[in-house]
Amino acid sequence: MQKIFIQPPHDDSLTSQLVCLYNSFKGLPFNEPRNFDISSISWFYPLLVLPISAHVNCFASQFIKNENNPNHSYLNAISFPQGVDTVSVFQQQIQAHKNFIPISTLKKDKGADRERLESLFSQMVYKILGSISGAQNAVHYPITEIVTNIFDHSQQDQGFIFGQFYPKKNYLDICIVDCGRGLSKAYADEKNLKLSDVDSIIEVLKGHSTKPSVERGYGVRTSKRVICECLGGEFILLSGSAAFIATGKKEKVVDLPEFYWQGVVVAYRIPKPVGAMDISQYLE
Amino acid sequence: MKKTNKKVINVAKILAPIVGSRDLMSVLAEAINKADAKSVDLDFREVEFVSRSAAHALLLMKEDLQRKWLNKKYIAFVNASKNVQEMFRVVASNRAVPKLNNLDIKIEKTDIKSLAKCSC
Repeated sequence: MQKIFIQPPHDDSLTSQLVCLYNSFKGLPFNEPRNFDISSISWFYPLLVLPISAHVNCFASQFIKNENNPNHSYLNAISFPQGVDTVSVFQQQIQAHKNFIPISTLKKDKGADRERLESLFSQMVYKILGSISGAQNAVHYPITEIVTNIFDHSQQDQGFIFGQFYPKKNYLDICIVDCGRGLSKAYADEKNLKLSDVDSIIEVLKGHSTKPSVERGYGVRTSKRVICECLGGEFILLSGSAAFIATGKKEKVVDLPEFYWQGVVVAYRIPKPVGAMDISQYLE
Repeated sequence: MKKTNKKVINVAKILAPIVGSRDLMSVLAEAINKADAKSVDLDFREVEFVSRSAAHALLLMKEDLQRKWLNKKYIAFVNASKNVQEMFRVVASNRAVPKLNNLDIKIEKTDIKSLAKCSC
C-alpha cells in the first residue's frame, strides 16, 4: 500500500486546502487503497479530512496519525475516519464532544433514518453558528441540495458530510463528498455527451440537468449563489480532474493534471451570519 | 373497508424535520397510498425546512396521485411555515414558467500552478 505524506496547507484558505488535497491524491489510481500519513498535520480542515475519510471508507485505505500530538484527539471527537451513520451515535458524540460536529456517513439504504441524520447535522450546524433567526434557510439550503444530488445522481449508496465552525475566525467550513460516478460520466450515461471534467462542471453551473425535465438542474447553481451572494462565502466544486472555485464574484475553473477524484467533492466556507437574510432572490 | 373522508400524515414523523431528499418521496408516497382515505393532508407542522428538490418532488407526487385512475388521492399541504410555503411557491411558479436554464456563462480558466502560487 502506497504511503502518502499529507503536507499541511500553506494557509487556511479554501484554495490552499484544495492545493493540499491535489498534492495528496495526485499521481495514483483513485480506487487503490493508500496509507495516508497525517502525522505532520496540526489542523484538520473539512476539505482535507473528509476526502481522506471517504477514501478510507470506500477503498479500505489506512492512515497514520501522531498519538503524541494533542491536536490529534480532535480526530476522535469528529469520529474520523468511519464517521457516524445513526442519529443515536451522532447524539452521543455531540454529548461527549460539545462543539464538534462528527463526520456523518449517509447511507441510501437507511431511508428516512438517513434524512433524520442529515437533519440533525444541519440543525447542529445552525445551532453552532448561533441560531441566528432568519438564517436557517440559508444554512439548510446548500446542504440539502448538495446531499440530495448524491442519492439522485452519483449511483453510490453512501455519501459523507462534515462541518467545522472556527469561533476565532468566525467562519464555518462544510464539505460534502461522494465516490460515485462523477459529473462527466453522468452526462455520458444519461445524455450521451462526452464532456471533459472542466466542461461538465461548467454545464452543471449552467443548470444543464442530466435528467430530462427542464425544471431540474437548479440545485448546484442556486446553492453556489446562496453561499457566495447571500452569505458572502466561498464555494468549491471538484469532480474528476477539474475544480471550480468561486470567491465572491470571482469564479474560475482549474484543470488538475495527474489527479482524479471519482465522484464529487463540494466544499464551502461561510462567515457567521449576523442577521436575518432572504434567500428567495437567489433561488431563480 | 369503507374509505374515511380524510387522513392526516405528519411529514416530519415519516421523514424528518428537514425534508431534503428527492429520493425519499417514495417513503411518503407509500404512506399516502396506504392511507384509507381519498383525501390526505400532509401536515408540515414540525417541518423546519423543505429543500427546493424535495418541494419539486412533493409537487410532482401530489399531481401524480391526483391524476391516478385507481386509488386516486387528493393531497393538501397544511400547517406549513412561512418559509416552507415560500419554497413551494418558488418551485410551483418555476414549474408554470421555467426560468431560462443553460445560461451562457464564461468562467476564467486557470492551472494548478497559478492556483498554488495564489494560495501561498
